[in-house]
Amino acid sequence: MALAEICGLQDFDTFSNEAPLQGDVFNYTKNFENNMNLGLPPFPKFTENLSHLSKDESGRELKIKFDHGTTTLGFQYQGGVVLAVDSRATGGDFIGSQTMKKIVEINDFLLGTLAGGAADCVYWDRVLAKQCRMYELRNRERISVAAASKLMANMVYNYKGMGLSMGMMIAGWDKRGPQLYYVDSEGTRTPGQVFSVGSGSIFAFGVLDAGYKWELKDDEAYELGRRAIYHATHRDAYSGGIVRVYHMKSTGWVHIDNNDCMDLHYKYQQQKEDSLNEV
Amino acid sequence: MASVVPRPHYPDYSTAAPVNHHFSPYADNGGSIVAIAGDDYVVIGGDTRLSTGFQIYTRQQSKLFSLSKTTVLGCAGCWCDTLTLTRLLSARMQMYEQEHNKVMSTPAAAQMLSTVLYYKRFFPYYISNMLVGLDNDGKGCVYSYDPIGHCERSNYRAGGSAGALLQPLLDNQVGMKNMQNIKDESIPLERALAIIKDVFVSAAERDIYTGDGIHINIITKDGIKSDSFPLRKD
Amino acid sequence: MSILTYNGSAMVAMKGDECVSIATDKRFGIQAHTVSMDFPKVFEMGPHLYLGLPGLATDIATVYEKLRFRKNLFELRENRQMSPQIFGAMVSNMLYEKRFGPFFVEPMIAGLHPQTFKPYICNMDLIGCRNEPVDFVTGGSASAQLFGMCESLWEPNMGPDDLFETTSQALVNAFDRDAISGWGATVYIIEKDKVTTRELKTRMD
Repeated sequence: MALAEICGLQDFDTFSNEAPLQGDVFNYTKNFENNMNLGLPPFPKFTENLSHLSKDESGRELKIKFDHGTTTLGFQYQGGVVLAVDSRATGGDFIGSQTMKKIVEINDFLLGTLAGGAADCVYWDRVLAKQCRMYELRNRERISVAAASKLMANMVYNYKGMGLSMGMMIAGWDKRGPQLYYVDSEGTRTPGQVFSVGSGSIFAFGVLDAGYKWELKDDEAYELGRRAIYHATHRDAYSGGIVRVYHMKSTGWVHIDNNDCMDLHYKYQQQKEDSLNEV
Repeated sequence: MASVVPRPHYPDYSTAAPVNHHFSPYADNGGSIVAIAGDDYVVIGGDTRLSTGFQIYTRQQSKLFSLSKTTVLGCAGCWCDTLTLTRLLSARMQMYEQEHNKVMSTPAAAQMLSTVLYYKRFFPYYISNMLVGLDNDGKGCVYSYDPIGHCERSNYRAGGSAGALLQPLLDNQVGMKNMQNIKDESIPLERALAIIKDVFVSAAERDIYTGDGIHINIITKDGIKSDSFPLRKD
Repeated sequence: MSILTYNGSAMVAMKGDECVSIATDKRFGIQAHTVSMDFPKVFEMGPHLYLGLPGLATDIATVYEKLRFRKNLFELRENRQMSPQIFGAMVSNMLYEKRFGPFFVEPMIAGLHPQTFKPYICNMDLIGCRNEPVDFVTGGSASAQLFGMCESLWEPNMGPDDLFETTSQALVNAFDRDAISGWGATVYIIEKDKVTTRELKTRMD
């Protein structure tokens, strides 16, 4: 090898053991090994320059439109936590899906709702689920909701300002009882009694605030959540599809039901007409 | 006093003011993908036109990539991203097979694709992906993706440049939406094939990035069968 | 965001055998916010003449009033009914008057000729470039979806019942995939001796 060294051949990659293409396979999937390691664009100041990528070589506008738009809500009451969500995913004005699952079952005692970028929420919820499971295996007890929500807030805070878009509620039941947290991609994390997140949240809040009280019975709480989401889907173009209701109890979460918004609309309208006829 | 020498003026060699050029790494090469799943089969069709703007690169480029004997990926969008992504996925499929001594199932491949896409969250692959195959129970499944890896399982889906044209048609003809007194049940393979051919004929009429022909893969427990069908070439 | 998708709309007109149809959604919204669910976008301009105006809501009202005035004036002066062809030419001319500051509507016209009862449909862009196909025209924010539906559902020489079924299926399935149109639909079937108006039961989200 002495001759090779004199000739400077060690500088060439030809002698390296790793085949260049195999390294490429690992380089493009770094998040398999470390879930929090995402690829960065190959040019400086990309947060400012990313907008220039929106045209193709012939100057035509590219439509990289991610799935967006949502109404989700969650509230605490005497029986635990109720979460209710719609199921529409829109890319621009096109409805990409009417059946999206916007409640992620992190484990038997933790639920997360998603609003904002669908891929962002689902990916980070999956990372969170893994971390919660690791915590359980290491510490022989379930992770608290406060800790889980803080993990989430800290993870996404590392990517603050880079365009992540998510607003999620994390609901759970731990040693200290039922818990509800709001976490978003700006790094906000706050506990609370009543939350609604997404483009239709203003409409949902109207119904929710009118009907909410701590002493609600289980059925009343489900109906309040369902009605609030239905009214939001009716008035907000980017919400719709199916209303899903979940209940977090001391024994873990229970999926209450799914209702198509079309059935709900004509049911509620019938009720309204019936009550008018009585008077 | 220094005399001012006039700068020579050459009208044929004038230079314009400096222009700021931006590198545009993406290209939209068009193409559409349609997939329909049934109880024991799944069919996926992709058109065979590869274009850029008003130019056609080729009229016979299949956009379907088989990842295993029960899994096929359809890609429409930026062709260079497609080539990189499919190379990456087939390498990962092979690594999995050699590590675990079994072939990756379709749902597992679907989750892997989502993670691979999300790795490039800040510089996405410009591809509309559709992964089809048979699940662990032998049922057909269709997974569709947004460019950064949000994934949803369904029974039918249209994607790519004519996705917006074709999806409502599939809702109606396959999903039986807005039909009265009709049960929502899965359709037989022959009907699925007929629908795929019909919808591509419609797409070729109205979408300039879709045409020339379609390449179809039919996946059943016996393996993948190929088929093709000509479309209008203008 | 384009100004043509500020309020959201979906509209389609089809030719049949001695009949034509025109159908519209009923939403009036301001971007994502649905304000009203009974906003008229298709207008009766004569016994066999219907005008559809998908686009910006404020211009829908203005253009309709201007066209009604011009058509009434024509009929008083000439003492004869306006045919859909002539009406189309008039709309096209009026839009081109505002070539450099256009109304943001893309009108469509469906009707039968007052004497021969020959079916006629047309649509045009916002500055009046007319398109008179033999099959169907689409418009509004759901026009891509409508193209896909119509292209495979439409067939030549449909009777009034088939035409109604085809038009309504095309419209409802198309706007179910568009976030900013829908919330009810009205279908008009125009025949020689009668015009049938039907309201459709649709999704309200």
